[in-house]
Amino acid sequence: MRLEGIHPYFTIVVAFCHCLYRLFSSFKKIFIEGSPLSSEERAAWTSEQTRRVLRRSCAAKGAGGEVSVFIAALLLLLTACQPAEEPVLIPEPEAFASIIYPSDNPTTRAGLALGRDLFFDPILSADSTISCGTCHQPERAFTDGLEKSIGIYGRVGRRNAPGLTNVGYLYETLFWDGRADNLEAQALHPIAEANEMGGSWPLVVSKLRQHADYWPRLQEAFGLTAKKELSPDHVGKALAQFQRSLISGDSKYDRVERGVDTYDELEALGYAIFFDLADDPDGAFANLPTGECAHCHTPPHFTNQRFFNNGLDLAHDLADFDDAGRGAITENPFDRGVFRTPTLRNIALTAPYMHDGRMKTLAEVVDHYNSGGQYAENRSANVFPLGLNPRQKAGLLAFLQTLTDTSFVNNENYRPLQLSGE
Amino acid sequence: MKSYFYFLLPLLLLIVSCEDDDDPVSTEAELSIAFRGEFGEDDLAIQSATYDYPTGEQLKVLLFQYYLSDLELLPADGGDAVRLSDIELIRWMSATEGPVATKTYTVPTGDYQGIRFGLGVKPELNAQDPNNSPADGTLNENEFWNASARYVFAKIEANADMEGDGVFDTPLTYHMGSDALYTTITFTQDFSLDGSNDPQLTIISDVLAALSDGNNTFDISDADQQRVHGGNQAIASDIWNRLANQFELEVR
Ligand code: HEC
Ligand code: HEC
Repeated sequence: MRLEGIHPYFTIVVAFCHCLYRLFSSFKKIFIEGSPLSSEERAAWTSEQTRRVLRRSCAAKGAGGEVSVFIAALLLLLTACQPAEEPVLIPEPEAFASIIYPSDNPTTRAGLALGRDLFFDPILSADSTISCGTCHQPERAFTDGLEKSIGIYGRVGRRNAPGLTNVGYLYETLFWDGRADNLEAQALHPIAEANEMGGSWPLVVSKLRQHADYWPRLQEAFGLTAKKELSPDHVGKALAQFQRSLISGDSKYDRVERGVDTYDELEALGYAIFFDLADDPDGAFANLPTGECAHCHTPPHFTNQRFFNNGLDLAHDLADFDDAGRGAITENPFDRGVFRTPTLRNIALTAPYMHDGRMKTLAEVVDHYNSGGQYAENRSANVFPLGLNPRQKAGLLAFLQTLTDTSFVNNENYRPLQLSGE
Repeated sequence: MKSYFYFLLPLLLLIVSCEDDDDPVSTEAELSIAFRGEFGEDDLAIQSATYDYPTGEQLKVLLFQYYLSDLELLPADGGDAVRLSDIELIRWMSATEGPVATKTYTVPTGDYQGIRFGLGVKPELNAQDPNNSPADGTLNENEFWNASARYVFAKIEANADMEGDGVFDTPLTYHMGSDALYTTITFTQDFSLDGSNDPQLTIISDVLAALSDGNNTFDISDADQQRVHGGNQAIASDIWNRLANQFELEVR
């Protein structure tokens, strides 16, 4: 809409109308369509950006400075009509690109508290014996210390439980084979999985509807009015909100990055191997082997979230893999034996290792990579014999220990960073 | 509800005078540019194809990717270039993907005399840290190597069968990039866009051509030349130069 050359009064009316229209559409979203604001819009409501966003959508239309009067009026309107359940902003380390919150599941105080309680409550399993926290224990960085997880009735699952440190930063896919798209969807799996919580969703939902504590809190968190509105999605959303709060950013590695701590000699050697400092022909580590680890275990989350074969099993034929991993999901033969790169944060606390827990110690893991692993034609080209001597292996191990964040695992609320209002 | 009162005024104003924000603009066209990967005469297939190397070895390609900066159309009248994108990452990394990746842009209709882009991450963006990019953005941490090497501009990864025994157990990885390597590539070719009968633009890149130009072939049997990462860019400079020289534009 071009406004130049039109009577200024008309311009102001149109601009005012446009602003109100924007405002109206947002309210319409909340009150009429019932869907919360997108994260972008949410940020606009609660922060200094409000003015900028409105100015962009209003002033840019050509009405110029006159609009600011109306913006003031709009801000007044806004404060009068804030939705009850406000998103909370969970602080994140500056070194991390921000978590991508789904627009239909902003974290709220009520949702977060609910998610945390549900996570540790066996009510979600068929016989009320197993909670998420049974296999994802905070003191083990949300793993269970077992080769393969043991679920309901002592049933052994087929894979190792991954840690959940910074799991909210994984925006690609979840699970070793990437079969879930996000935390909301992921949470629906273990509850119904026969070898995990062995439950049925209709049962879980009906238990929660009858529950004296959970039902009112679910109502509050998701604005539910009638019991029939409660669905598995609400449970998934609450669990996702809690898991997105599991933020770790105060390991020794992080502190060194921030310049407030230093590595000892062995850790520095390991760092140099992990990050291939030998690639710099003029650098201090020019003659060191390169570990190539950071191609896949890319900082700051120590995963690039992609799928690789890192040489665990010999496979002359790609059909030979026992666990097809990614291949079972994509049904592509070249994805067989390929798994998503796991994070290495808090890795010293999450033994045993690999998708099937086959390696008991980090020393075994380092030996594995040093050997180059076993042949498969889809083994990553960044996995090959490294030629590390014992001291260099010890260095790599020492570096891996620096990824432990004790403030994360010791946090009483199972969330490391304090919530603040806004 | 009290809040409905506040809807009343905007609603009325809306009905009286507000129309959709965006007037339909007839002077724009949707331009889709196809990026096709090749290996010599063949379409690029990750892992599933076996390619002959000029010196007798065989390769299976695992990864081929490159950044493009400032992708622009050049108007025929010599006017200002039309910026399509500041940064793109073109990538083949999975056997489930085909050889063509397509990107679509909205551009002014008109006559053009060519297309231009910078191969790599332009210095201004290469100076930025990845935590300033959205986590899922083109310039996220995944292609950022370290504070001094910065973003990796292009990668070629393959497993080679050096002995002809059908075992692809020699890894080759070439990770290239630095401000000094940033190269502007310009194609001069006339085309017109009117939004209806527009030509298909395809930017073709050939992994083999980056390794061998017929006269000179990169020696993959030399153990010192099987891996180029981070600071040891000198070894790969001729791969980079060939990569920058081999792009083709097809207008059909
Ligand atoms: C019986 C043990 C067990 C229980 C109970 C369990 N999990 Fe898991 N969890 C696992 C295992 C094993 C995996 C890996 C499975 C795979 O990748 O195939 C996993 C994977 C995950 C992942 C993916 C992490 C990643 O990095 O991709 C998340 C998130 C998760 N679980 C959350 C939960 C939540 C929430 C609950 C409760 C609703 C729960 N888990 C209950 C064992 C368990
Ligand atoms: C090609 C990508 C790649 C490279 C290079 C790589 N890793 Fe891994 N790493 C993976 C994948 C994929 C897994 C999971 C494999 C599986 O379980 O099937 C993994 C697993 C691990 C684990 C076990 C994690 C867990 O939670 O069980 C550790 C520890 C580890 N890697 C450390 C390293 C170190 C140290 C290096 C460098 C010497 C390295 N990795 C190099 C991809 C890679």
